[in-house]
Order: sequence, then C-alpha cells, then structure tokens
Amino acid sequence: MRAEELKGHLDALLLAALEDGPRHGYAVIEALRSSTGGRLDLPTGTMYPALRRLEQAGLIKGSWSIVAGRQRREYRLTSAGARALEGKRADWRDFAAMVSAALEGRSCPDPA
Amino acid sequence: MPGPGLIRDYLAALAAQLPAPIVSELADGLDQTHRHYLGQGLDPDAAAEAAVTEFGQPNEILAAFVQASPARYAARRLLATGPLVGLCWAMVLIANRAWTWPAPLIARIAPGVLLITATAMLARAAFGKYYRPARRAATAGCMGVAVLDVTMLTVAILIAPAIIWPVVIATVVSAARITFSVRALRSVLAG
Repeated sequence: MRAEELKGHLDALLLAALEDGPRHGYAVIEALRSSTGGRLDLPTGTMYPALRRLEQAGLIKGSWSIVAGRQRREYRLTSAGARALEGKRADWRDFAAMVSAALEGRSCPDPA
Repeated sequence: MPGPGLIRDYLAALAAQLPAPIVSELADGLDQTHRHYLGQGLDPDAAAEAAVTEFGQPNEILAAFVQASPARYAARRLLATGPLVGLCWAMVLIANRAWTWPAPLIARIAPGVLLITATAMLARAAFGKYYRPARRAATAGCMGVAVLDVTMLTVAILIAPAIIWPVVIATVVSAARITFSVRALRSVLAG
C-alpha cells in the first residue's frame, strides 16, 4: 500500500497495534507489519514521531525502561486511546461500507 | 551506539537536530532493525544499509518530528487563541478608560513589547523547519505569554477601579491560558 494512502490511517493502525498490551517502538512496527501482511510501506523512522504525537494527544503513554543494558521506550494505550480506537474503527466501518456500496453499485446500508 | 559507520553517521545526522531522548529511542529501533537483517544472514555493512534504508531519509524523519513536536503544538494553539485573549483585555482596558490611568510611559510600553516578542517567538516555533530552534522559540513564547497574563491579572487587581464583567471574563481566560502555557512549557522542555 502506498505511503500517502496509509498516512491518513496511521494513528488508528498504531493504536490498534497497542491494543493487546504495551510495546516499544520497534515491536509496534513489527506488529503493524504483521497485521498488514507485510504491505506496510512507510519509512519506519517516521513511526516514532507519530507515536510521540499520539502520546502528546494523551492517547498513548510512553515510559522508559532498561532492557539488556540499554534504554528502551515502551508505549501503552490509555483509556482515551482505547475510546479513540473504537471511534476510528466505527468510522472506518461506515466509510468502507459506503465506498464499497458506491463502487459495487448498490445502496449503502444505514449506519447502526 | 557501537556498530557500522553508516549507522553512526545516520544517528549523528539526527542527533544534530533532535534531543537526546528521541535519538536514544531511534538508536534502539535502528539497532533492532539492524539485528533483524543480521538475523536474515546479511553481513554487518549490508544489514546496516538495509536498516538505514528501511528507516527512511534523515530529512524525512526530522521533518516528521518537527511536525509532531510539542513546540509546534503549543505555539499554534497559543497563536490561535491569542486574539480572543487580547480582545477580552482590550474590553477591560476600554471599559476602565486605561488611557487615563497614572502609569509611567515604560509601564504602558512594556506589555506591548512583550506581546510582540512573544508572538514573534510563537510564530517561529509554529512555522519553523528545525526542531531545536523551534523548541527554544516555543519556550520563550510560552514564558512570554505567561508573564504577560500574570502582568495583566496584576494590573486588573491593582488598578482596575471596579470588578466588572469584562474583568471577570478576561481573568478566567488568562488563568486558563497560564495553565496551558505552564503545561505546554513542561511538555516542550521534556520533548
């Protein structure tokens, strides 16, 4: 998938990658790669500022720990982040249903 | 970080503009990416090249950090809300006929100079392309705005002859902005 197409959904993807528990930056990227079937095509270095932005918005919380003698920053989803993820999931389902209906020439189901 | 020169040079380019904690996190991620490629059987130099390529161009990463920086976030919010706070205080000054107050010239000019300086600093932080200068500018801008609000609150308490509704509104708005500025300052200094 192209970088431009992914950028609009990056926040939701990062939040979803933290839903199962805390992860450090590289593990978040690995989880995203795994959940997108390896089709994630963004420079991985740009994920770190995105994580900082989500932290600033209070959707995730970062903390430092020492792993194998080196500092590692780990992120976890906050309750606000969990709510935001649910909202983004619902928006995506509505959007996908609308676009699918339009592309396939059928009427769009009413949102639940 | 020990490792091939390519990774050292790459991190040095990032360290020239980003704070140490961010570089430390990037170094850890890059180290793990490098190990991932080593685990796939690449030699250290090829693994370093693959890791750096996967990470992206330093300029691209630096630009993304500037966009996501607490300095830019704080500066843009203070600039966006500034006119509202200014309007509230203008109403107080007009309602109290501030031009008749027995204040020396320096006391009349100083708040204006502080306002212009703080606004210029915030504009630099909000639209600057480099992380560290934007961080310094946001620090100065947040402090300037907080000092300006404290000054105006002091003026309202000491000089304004009556508690009237514009004073109440301006006081509440300024108190909220002082709280935001202090929190933003902590976040800017931390990141």
